[in-house]
Amino acid sequence: VAKTSLTSPPWPEVKLPDPVEEAKYHTEVVQKVNKMIAAGQYGRLFAVVHFASKQWKITSEDLIMMDNVLEAECGDRIRMEKVLLVGADDFTLIGRPLLGKDLVRVEATVIEKTESWPKINMRFWKRHNYQRKKIIVNPQTILRINTIEIFPCLS
Amino acid sequence: QHFRGRKNRCYKLAVRSVQRAFVKSTKARREKKRILRALWITRIEAASLEHGLKYPAFISNLLKSQVELNRKVIADLAIYEPKTFKSLAALAQRRRQEGFLAALGDGKEPEGIFSRIVHHY
Repeated sequence: VAKTSLTSPPWPEVKLPDPVEEAKYHTEVVQKVNKMIAAGQYGRLFAVVHFASKQWKITSEDLIMMDNVLEAECGDRIRMEKVLLVGADDFTLIGRPLLGKDLVRVEATVIEKTESWPKINMRFWKRHNYQRKKIIVNPQTILRINTIEIFPCLS
Repeated sequence: QHFRGRKNRCYKLAVRSVQRAFVKSTKARREKKRILRALWITRIEAASLEHGLKYPAFISNLLKSQVELNRKVIADLAIYEPKTFKSLAALAQRRRQEGFLAALGDGKEPEGIFSRIVHHY
């Protein structure tokens, strides 16, 4: 059969590596990372956490402000689940989409519960004598991330 | 800043310009979300081009491999954690190649079909 423009696909042909060798390589990497975590050879850890319908990239000693009310008193310790990503200098653990609770532990304390600065919501149409002014004050909570810990239980 | 010309001294002009400023700030609060998202998208595009991937390929392959990071976080990672972004790009590239192989299928022609070359004279 003659070669037309549709015989070969428009993307360049790529071959994937051997699955057996790949599995070996994967187990090696996982063991190395496990050893590193168990030995504690990581510096600062950062994590990506899904909290209050937003995603935050946090490290330890971090301040986070959210535009809503948390049902916790000031000074309460909170453990954040729904961790999407954890990383250090040499390795990162990417969750699909979440990481297990027995892998990561993110602790935070509630510091402040304040209200935002008074935001002004104004609507005005010219020549129609129409203006509405509304002052919106949102309650805010401020959290400080105390620690991010990881445990060497990869597989 | 703080109202140019007689708007910062005369009451009537100042009232009008302050009202316009309030209205513009309310509309801008809605536009800010769109502007920031566009900014993140351009940053992610630039970072992924450095690793040899285009933005639609990168994002679609990340979503297909069940990694649900939003654009803000990916842009922050691209700025402050280059190694993590490189690993994400490699993940997207690998998923892309697997998708191509899955789309090709077996590589055999379907049965009952023959093809021949037609010559026009």
